[in-house]
Amino acid sequence: MNIKPKIGSFLLYAFLSVSAFFSIFPFFWIIIGSTNSALDIQKGKLSFGDQLITNFTKLFGESDMGRALFNSAKIAILTVFLSLLVTSMAAYGFQMYKSKAREKTYSFFLLTMMIPFASLMIPLFQIIVVFRMLNSHLAIILVASISVFMIFFFRQSFVNYQTEILQAARVDGAGELRIFFTIFFPSMRSTYAAGAIYAFMTSWNAYLWPLIVLQSNDKRTATLLISSLSSSYTPDYGVIMSGIALATLPVIVVFFAFQKQFVQGMVGSVKQ
Amino acid sequence: MKKSVSILLVLLALVTPLFATGATEAKDAGPITIWAWDPNFNISIMNEAISRYQANNPEATFEVVELAKADVEQKLHTNLASRTTQGLPDIVLIEDYNVQKYLTSYPGQFADLTSSFNYNDFVGYKADVMKLDGKYYGVPFDSGVSGLFYRTDLLEKAGFVPKDLENITWNRLADISKEYKAKTGEYFLANGKDDGGLFRIMLQSAGSWYFDNKGQPDLIGNAALKEAMQIYKRFVVEDLALPTNGWTEWVSAFNSGKVASVTTGVWIIGSIKAAEDQSGLWAVAPTPRLSTAASVNASNLGGSSWFVLQNGASKDKAIAFLKEVYGSDKDFYQTILVNNGAIGSYMPAFKGDAFAKKDAFFGNRAIFADLSKWASMVPKVNVGQYTYEADAAVMGVMEDFYTGKTSIDQTVEAAQKQLVNTIQ
Amino acid sequence: MAHEKQLNRTGWFFILPSSILLLFFIVYPIFYSFYLSFTSTRGIVSQFVGFKNYVRMFGDPMFFLALKNTFTLLLIQVPIMLVLSITFAAVLNNKKVRFRGFFRTAIFLPAVTSLIAYSILFKMLFSYDGLINNTLLSLSIIDSPLQWMTTPKLATFVLILAMIWRWTGYNMIFYLSAMQNISEDLYEAASIDGASKVRTFFTITIPLLKPIILFTTVMSTIGTLQLFDEPMNLSQGGTTSSMVGPDNVFLTLSVYIYNICFKYTPNFGYAATVSYAILLIIALLTFVQFTLSRDKEEVMRRRIEKETKKMVKEGLR
Repeated sequence: MNIKPKIGSFLLYAFLSVSAFFSIFPFFWIIIGSTNSALDIQKGKLSFGDQLITNFTKLFGESDMGRALFNSAKIAILTVFLSLLVTSMAAYGFQMYKSKAREKTYSFFLLTMMIPFASLMIPLFQIIVVFRMLNSHLAIILVASISVFMIFFFRQSFVNYQTEILQAARVDGAGELRIFFTIFFPSMRSTYAAGAIYAFMTSWNAYLWPLIVLQSNDKRTATLLISSLSSSYTPDYGVIMSGIALATLPVIVVFFAFQKQFVQGMVGSVKQ
Repeated sequence: MKKSVSILLVLLALVTPLFATGATEAKDAGPITIWAWDPNFNISIMNEAISRYQANNPEATFEVVELAKADVEQKLHTNLASRTTQGLPDIVLIEDYNVQKYLTSYPGQFADLTSSFNYNDFVGYKADVMKLDGKYYGVPFDSGVSGLFYRTDLLEKAGFVPKDLENITWNRLADISKEYKAKTGEYFLANGKDDGGLFRIMLQSAGSWYFDNKGQPDLIGNAALKEAMQIYKRFVVEDLALPTNGWTEWVSAFNSGKVASVTTGVWIIGSIKAAEDQSGLWAVAPTPRLSTAASVNASNLGGSSWFVLQNGASKDKAIAFLKEVYGSDKDFYQTILVNNGAIGSYMPAFKGDAFAKKDAFFGNRAIFADLSKWASMVPKVNVGQYTYEADAAVMGVMEDFYTGKTSIDQTVEAAQKQLVNTIQ
Repeated sequence: MAHEKQLNRTGWFFILPSSILLLFFIVYPIFYSFYLSFTSTRGIVSQFVGFKNYVRMFGDPMFFLALKNTFTLLLIQVPIMLVLSITFAAVLNNKKVRFRGFFRTAIFLPAVTSLIAYSILFKMLFSYDGLINNTLLSLSIIDSPLQWMTTPKLATFVLILAMIWRWTGYNMIFYLSAMQNISEDLYEAASIDGASKVRTFFTITIPLLKPIILFTTVMSTIGTLQLFDEPMNLSQGGTTSSMVGPDNVFLTLSVYIYNICFKYTPNFGYAATVSYAILLIIALLTFVQFTLSRDKEEVMRRRIEKETKKMVKEGLR
């Protein structure tokens, strides 16, 4: 009679554990792989090896991984700043200054999320050339900062904001911009943290647009570098694994560092 | 405290775009930029060419950019399509199957080299590839003459002798693969069943192609095509070839000793030699032929050529470089033959003695004498500009043929239909 | 009045930077793309052909193949993934479950990987002599290695599995966050009335999650219809092979567009035409999903009212 809840509970934890295992296993595999030689990896070795130093030496020696990591970091951080600024301002404008015209504009913004990147690719590339931004990180940063998803996310988070504080500041004579930066922004920390993580992750992992825009190897991002390592003529899987490990690490670190704010921010954004 | 932090953040955000560097424009003072793929072959050869040139021209600087083949092709498209004049390479490698495509799609973007080189010095069918409206646009590079490269030791173990592989048909090779597998439990060769490489080798060996002389799709009633399809089906249905997915897996199949042979263009030698522990164990036999009367034991797969971009920053320097090395240096061709297995298209070099040299990796056999002999036997075909479309059209319908869903005639018709639509 | 006008101007001011970026990098390209769709181009040699491209598209076997492949992924992957996401969210929302934080982080972690990285990983795992085959062999589940990446149906399976691995946690966070906003009182009231956990889930939780369910469904649909990175990288990718995946199963609409631009003789005009086809499909599906949810909303609301009334009545008795 009392077995039922125990079985149920056992099944539940089994289900969760198996799922967690499948989710995390590839990460273990990457870490283990980066310590093994290509041959061992192919054989399916699942224990730590001693090739870590060798792999990393090869990685940094044969490719400009250090440079690529720096490029990725630079682009990601700049993207975070610019996109947070631009998208939160837009969301603030849409949410705090409601008007029919702006609602229509907002709907138009949302519609653009449906447009497949494939449609934009060539004309976008041409515009970048016209602006002399070919092979520049700026092209990537600017395009990434358009993120309508982030505008949507921010706006949802602003929905339940108590606007009285802003009104009070207005009465006191403070300018609108000043209110935004000095009162509003500091009070939405977890939202901005969640947005920052999203922007950082998206920027760090971007592939197709950087592939098209960046022409020279010294401008490459870590993601592009890994892709080219794996499609090279004689890929060394040990090196590739360590490359993936290194390229994934920053995102994981950022995520873990801001995990609490991320969850808080997400919760705040879906409040109805 | 909070206020100043906020202001600082805003200033930072506004100022950061300034830190993102834009494209640097190198006027003729810059290095000669070269885009190519395959570090073991094309790039290694180009580096050899560069060091030769720099010995006589020490002030010349170069930048060799190694990219995956697909990336070179894609970047070339995006750059030329956007009509940009910055960031273009000076020299770019283009596979022969794609040459006409680039020449007709981007008129005026490639430098007219007719007066810079003597095209009579180059192998006829290679020079034809880059001819448009009477003008020549590239520097013919490597021949893709094919051979049946195999491991002598593994062959022996299965109870065969090299003669068993000489001048055979594809059906005979399939039979041998069957026996080999029965005796050793391993595959004799690897093949991606979606990969049109062997297909093209088979077609060209019979002087046939996806298109007729006028450039029209010629799949229906094409005897060579039909037989090629049937052989592919044998490989799949009788499980005679190790299934591989992509270049890397295919190369690692023979690098790791999992398969005993590879039939493809001579440019594979660089990759074969990458497995240094297999030195002395390889040999090469003539390419198998089809059973149709027109087919011979010689064919070609791929091969590329160098092109100079009209709007490259160092165009004239690039042309001078190519002329001095690829256009006249016979010794260069001897070196790359020995080191990389590259059979160039510069005919004056063919008289060099490197071609008679014995290669230790290949059991001290004079393989290049054989390969250059076969190169002269390769039937000429006009590959046109739609090879990859045809490839996709044919390979796309093969799966139904493998599973028996469609008959061979139905398969060919479906392929023809797709091809006609694609090249509209 | 003047103050209102100023407020209005300020409103536009805040939207200005985004709007400028949008104008240059999305609006202009989309219009130019529309114009392109009426031209047939070969590289930079272009020719106005009116509706010929659209006619061509309707007779293009490869277009329909890409359409079929994309829809197959959509109809299989999205529902499975969303159901899994919501299940995980429901389980991890239960305060009695221990180690919730760990499970939540573990299941979300795949979402931080780049699409390239995880495609490469799955390709390695499922290769002919990869880890999966070796494990299955050693456990005697199969007696010869499965040709995962070279068999059409198996390859599709790998792609779907990979996508589920990558995106389930991501969607789970949305559901979890929404669930945490549902007041505890509702659940208490339901449990006092003896409603089972399952019943509560379907009659209270799901209806209240409707907006977020709609959101994730729409976003997942759009994402899958545009799918590019994974099929490109799981297959041989690029222009080195005749097909994208065995029997072209990885040929999604976006990959087809890429091929038209960079693999075949570049016809940017026709590529634009096909991309507009995707756009129309996305628009249509999104519209359908929104409409369906609106009708359901009425039905749902009445159901909730009915259930609540019933529970109150029974409670009062």
